[in-house]
Amino acid sequence: MSYHYNKAFENPDYHLSETLEINRRRSPQENLFSYQAPYGASLPGSYGEHDGREQNYPLAIPVASMRQGSEYRGGLPRVNVLSRSPYGSFTDNLSFEPEPELAYNPPSTFHSPYTHSTSNRSEDDFIWRRDRRPHDEIFMTSSSVFETNPVWKEEETLVGNLASMSTNERIKAIQKMPETMKKKREIRNKVLKEITKKSRHRSTHLSCCTQCLQGIAVSFRRFGNSLSEYFHLLQLRYNTLKVIGAEFGTSVLSYFIFLKWLLTFNIFSLLINFSFITIPQFLAAEPNNLSFTGLELLTGAGYFQQTVLYYGFYTNATISKIKNGPSYNMQLAYIFTVGLYFVICFLILLFSIAKSFWRNFINPQAYSVNASKLLCTWDFNITNEKAVKLKQKNLSMQIKEDLTEVNWEVLSVSAKERVVCISINFASWVASLGTALAACAGVYFLSTNNLKLFVKGHRNDLESQAAMLVLPVVTSLLNAFIPFFYSWLGRLERFKTPGQHIYVTITRNIILKISILGILCYYWLGIVAASESQCWETLVGQDIYRLIVVDFIFCLLGSFFGEFLRRIIGTTVYVSLGLPEFDIGRNVLDLIYAQTLTWVGILFSPLLPVIQIIAFSIVFYVKKVSLMMNCQPPRKVWRTAQMTTSFIFLLFFPSFVGVLAVIGVTVWRLKPSEECGPFRGLSSMYAAVSEWIEILENYTASKWVVWIYHNLITSELFFFILSTLVLIVTYIYWQIIEGRKTMTKLLYKQISNEGKDKMFLLEQLRSLQRAKQTPSAPGGQGQAGQSSSYHPSRQPAQQVPDYPGRAFDRNQNASYNNEYPDAAGILRGTGFPPGLERAQRSSGPGMSEAVAIALRAREAAELEDQYDDTYPQP
Amino acid sequence: MKGFGFFTSSNRLFFLILSCTDNYRLCILFYRYRDLAPQLVPLDYTHKPDVTLPYELIGSMPELKDNPFRQRIAEVFSEDGDGNMTLDNFLDMFSVLSEMAPRDLKAYYAFKIYDFNNDDYICKSDLEKTVNKLTRNELTPEEVSLVCEKVIYEADADNDGKLSLEDFQHMIIRAPDFLSTFHIRI
Repeated sequence: MSYHYNKAFENPDYHLSETLEINRRRSPQENLFSYQAPYGASLPGSYGEHDGREQNYPLAIPVASMRQGSEYRGGLPRVNVLSRSPYGSFTDNLSFEPEPELAYNPPSTFHSPYTHSTSNRSEDDFIWRRDRRPHDEIFMTSSSVFETNPVWKEEETLVGNLASMSTNERIKAIQKMPETMKKKREIRNKVLKEITKKSRHRSTHLSCCTQCLQGIAVSFRRFGNSLSEYFHLLQLRYNTLKVIGAEFGTSVLSYFIFLKWLLTFNIFSLLINFSFITIPQFLAAEPNNLSFTGLELLTGAGYFQQTVLYYGFYTNATISKIKNGPSYNMQLAYIFTVGLYFVICFLILLFSIAKSFWRNFINPQAYSVNASKLLCTWDFNITNEKAVKLKQKNLSMQIKEDLTEVNWEVLSVSAKERVVCISINFASWVASLGTALAACAGVYFLSTNNLKLFVKGHRNDLESQAAMLVLPVVTSLLNAFIPFFYSWLGRLERFKTPGQHIYVTITRNIILKISILGILCYYWLGIVAASESQCWETLVGQDIYRLIVVDFIFCLLGSFFGEFLRRIIGTTVYVSLGLPEFDIGRNVLDLIYAQTLTWVGILFSPLLPVIQIIAFSIVFYVKKVSLMMNCQPPRKVWRTAQMTTSFIFLLFFPSFVGVLAVIGVTVWRLKPSEECGPFRGLSSMYAAVSEWIEILENYTASKWVVWIYHNLITSELFFFILSTLVLIVTYIYWQIIEGRKTMTKLLYKQISNEGKDKMFLLEQLRSLQRAKQTPSAPGGQGQAGQSSSYHPSRQPAQQVPDYPGRAFDRNQNASYNNEYPDAAGILRGTGFPPGLERAQRSSGPGMSEAVAIALRAREAAELEDQYDDTYPQP
Repeated sequence: MKGFGFFTSSNRLFFLILSCTDNYRLCILFYRYRDLAPQLVPLDYTHKPDVTLPYELIGSMPELKDNPFRQRIAEVFSEDGDGNMTLDNFLDMFSVLSEMAPRDLKAYYAFKIYDFNNDDYICKSDLEKTVNKLTRNELTPEEVSLVCEKVIYEADADNDGKLSLEDFQHMIIRAPDFLSTFHIRI
């Protein structure tokens, strides 16, 4: 039957094989639904069938109302029961029309339901509806949206909206839909149909240009896809990450992701530096006549001094291969490349911080600990059987701890205990800051001693090379062992939350590392630069090289001694210690330290990223192997997302900003060495730029560059205005944020009020039902239920003196309920005022709508009370 | 690496447009699906063969094998609700669980996974089931119900005693780790 109608509805677009197939596949389903479909009533000449349906009908209700997410269906059939009842009257239908569309029988042709109109119009309507109905059914079962007429209207508008979007937006929107692939395909087909229809209306032919563009877009996308295939083939680490995630979960994984990110960052820096500084230098290279012994790999001195690794080797000449041809100014290339590199780094860091904050710190205050601990905590990454069991065990331990903690919190801490706690905190802060200070002082004296050795003479013997290594080894030792002291201190203190513990330890570690780096920078810029050495930039570069290499070696040793030996001890000697855990915080801080060194060194040794790339790749695999062999998954819940954000922030704030300061001082204030490097003979590195501008002033074609330089870059006024503007914008945004916060609070309050409203209404209705155990009780429900299906003409309809009719239909409903108590029970059981529930479900912005519906429902309930007063039921 | 020609490229594009995954992942997924039952699943999907793999096969994938929610996941994404999956369902499942899926989509399906009795609310019995799955029945019934009460008290913004999708989404927004943990690497 329905299939027949579908055919009748044939539409040229149905020739799309996809749609056709879907329709065919669905036809049995449609037949199934047709017995439930209340619209069937208007079928011409189907008396017998109709009777049959009448009998089936009550059955259909429980089925319908039991179905998932179908509270609304309950409303619809009831309406139809009424309109089809022999007693049904004109007013019934009018007042109960949930939607204008439901009035498939126009009021003019209204009739007793048993005499069906055979007018073409109603048949058309029916077909029209029939064609959509199954879609709704599928839509409903696959999603939790509600099965009422508004739904397909919604879908219609959805399709319309999608059709009006641009292709990319549409794809995104379709991808975001919580639907099955099949449904999405269907929607997409509809949208495409809509679009073709529209475009047919608009212009009968697509312009050649658009077609061409579309073709290009499609082929471009295909090209991109095939490119991504090959790109993925190169990305071998994905599997490693998967294995780590499977065994250790997201928290440990975040370390490796951070490491990978740093690695790509360094590859990018290498590409920039290599292509703009090193390749031109190769063209003008001088022969290197120093011998290579092998120890240089460790010390970075000797042979490497005369290579592109260090600043001192670069020429200050203008390179040109062809005479009078285009030339390449090394000075400018050097300064602009490094400058550009730092600007790009700054932007990348800024954007990743911003993105990370945006994703992870949306509302950190209102972190609902228990709920998310339970529902958001399961790490779907973990697929290893042992890891799953361990995780489950840890979780149950944690839940038990939390349950006991509730009682513990209640116990108030005595004043004495508090004083002890604070004094321990204070003492450990003093101790940690003191150690950092002592470490700095040690490094400083060691480095000044070291300098004397350099200045004394360049002896290329073993002794001096070994002496060179003292400073980096000591620094790395301090970096490696003081954190253990800090974690011991942390264990002494008592923190309120484990998060606090982590943050305090990290802060102490970062203070240590940054102050050591700071003192080293002071030594390089303040003492080495002022010394009368031949080429101080190269000396600094070598120092940094050694620091990086030794730090890398210590990292490897750390995973050997810290994890491997610890495991041996933990499994054989002291079994109670157990397997070690991977210390994410400490390892990430090591990475940040190494990256900071690289940044500081980039000006003095442009190819430092190469060393760092090699080091990081080896660290990646060594750490992976060590992790797999030695460690166990972390026991505590580590708030990965927030920690990752804070790590990127740490990378930005003390480290990158500090590096910028160091580079700034070097470029603007310090005098480059006289005999080496691209800036030899200049008063400062920056002088290269001002000299270049002076040259440019002679050319009329580049006057604008000069103008920009004078009026924007060197003018204080411009920067003053700029910073004022930035401050103003920041202030405005801050105010907007404040406003939004207030708004959020209000909305939260509204939600909870909403809930109370709902509870109140439910309570009211339940008491009503309880009060009258008379047949009329469920009638009230039916009525209030329909109050959700809002219709503009409803309010007046209620007010017209039409009470007998209303009472009547209530009776009608009641008798139906008496006959099928189960159905009534189900109706009662499934969420009552459907309008409200729907409002609850509709997303946040629909709040005001929800309130309106709630008010309406309450109004209806009050009206109900009035009726009851006026017309007491038998 | 096997070739990528498992169905016509226009069809492939189609899948790409509909799901939150990329071409490479899509091909990998197809082969993973096919490897579950090579004798059942044809290589050529141009004519859309009607193939459904039973839950036993889906649940035995290494990615799902040890996941306490594996049955729920399969049920939520399968068409019939029994965990039997067509290729479409399979792609759906892993595209939602991929890292490219937006937060709302993930939240929606996570909600469905935790909603064991399919009533569109996470009620106390659902939570109890979740807790038992998470802790491998190591807690006493009293502890379980205490935990569930706490969760409902915390996350239920509208005081109806159960968590609706909105409540759940609110909670998800405040739990940033969710995005990275509701993720299966394939």
